[in-house]
Amino acid sequence: MITLWHFLGVGATLFALGLVGFLTRRNLITMFLCAELMLQGVVINLLAFGRFHGTLSGQAMGLFVITVAACEAGLAMALFLMLYRRGKTLDSGDWQQVRETGVPAATDAVPLPLPPADDEPKLPVPGLRPEQVAAPFPESSRA
Amino acid sequence: MSLDINNPILQLILATMLGGLGVFFLLPRPRGRWVAGGVALVLCGMGTLAAFLITRFGQPLAASDAANIDWVGSGLFWLFAAGAIVFGMVLVTQRNPARGAIAFAFVILSTCGLFLLLAAPFLMAATIIIYAGAIIVTFLFVLMLSNVRTASDENDRSREPLLGALAGFAFLGLVLFTLHSSEADSTGPEALLTSIERVRLTEAVSKLDAGEADEANNLVNDVLVNRVDGKPTVAQRLASHDADPRVAAFLAQTIELRKSNDKVFNAQNAADKSKAAAALRPELIVYLGNGHLPARNVANLGTVLYSEYLLAVEMAGTLLLVATVGAVAIAGRRNPAKEVPA
Repeated sequence: MITLWHFLGVGATLFALGLVGFLTRRNLITMFLCAELMLQGVVINLLAFGRFHGTLSGQAMGLFVITVAACEAGLAMALFLMLYRRGKTLDSGDWQQVRETGVPAATDAVPLPLPPADDEPKLPVPGLRPEQVAAPFPESSRA
Repeated sequence: MSLDINNPILQLILATMLGGLGVFFLLPRPRGRWVAGGVALVLCGMGTLAAFLITRFGQPLAASDAANIDWVGSGLFWLFAAGAIVFGMVLVTQRNPARGAIAFAFVILSTCGLFLLLAAPFLMAATIIIYAGAIIVTFLFVLMLSNVRTASDENDRSREPLLGALAGFAFLGLVLFTLHSSEADSTGPEALLTSIERVRLTEAVSKLDAGEADEANNLVNDVLVNRVDGKPTVAQRLASHDADPRVAAFLAQTIELRKSNDKVFNAQNAADKSKAAAALRPELIVYLGNGHLPARNVANLGTVLYSEYLLAVEMAGTLLLVATVGAVAIAGRRNPAKEVPA
């Protein structure tokens, strides 16, 4: 005999995880994947209820949810492409000029860590015969 | 409330708090990310969630008596559930969106395992096929558009990690509390057919396939109208819970089918016999498709989709078409900057 409640618990957890990701993450692609995660939680719920009642209506509804998810994926990718062409970024925070009026702009207080600086290239001394130089290309050099 | 460790409410609160704190520590940000602690907290929260589910609802896929626990099914359930949640956590907290896409692929595989446990093999296959394409396209977009080499605003910052984690896990706590306070004693509606009746109806289907329509009809009459093994017939069993409108509708439908089919069979007309045999098949499908799943999943799902949900199927097709047109219209413009009037 199947128990409904465990599957409902897993579906609710997946939905909550997707909700957290959708609310907090700023990469548009990650946000899209988190929305899909929420839909997966919903489909698990539908199938669990269908199994519990012994009907196929839950599976039919699950198919429709997957259809809507496919439409969402296509439109989302097209929109991301458009936004990237305009702003050269996937950051949802860069589009906050379309926010509601009266809402203050979100600012990032903590600066991002700087990338580690590359060492300056060390060139070999010109004009010397090769055998006079012990190591013409030091290993730390990328040239 | 005493601080008993077996108290499901305490376990519920502990699970949501540990999980929320863990996700808060794991969410990417320039300063203050604590990966080891976050992972430990999340794993503790998942363990507590499992403890809550077992304390409150017992083992998954368990029989009513403790001797008949389905260990394989339970093990598979825990494996797939843990896989889905762990990889979902990785997707939410991973800085690199390409790794997030890979984690999402594993989430899909895990949920497809859960679909199989829920007797939905067709939906499992469809999900894998559709999402394999979706994930590959997402992956290509990540490679094309995203810069993961250096720290960037979109990957290394989160918007309000504390409030976001609080909102999501408060929601989870409320849903789990609703589950906890629901009446979880019932193990589901009674199966429509007993196993003996199911076997005899399957026999009737094979007789129908062999062209012996009369024997098939007699078998169906035996099962559905006459008493089998001294037990109440299906109609009598259904009548005991016809307060449920769906059961009542199903009962009316099947009784109507039985009457009309039996009348045609008694007419003893050879020309009508083949028509009657054709009419008997949907009746058998109605019975065999209900109750225990998976019962001929693909065939019955097709029957349901193209009879009960025909309009919805058409709408879904239209929606796909409109979405395709919209996606082409949105992404098809070559250079939007040139189209803005100067």
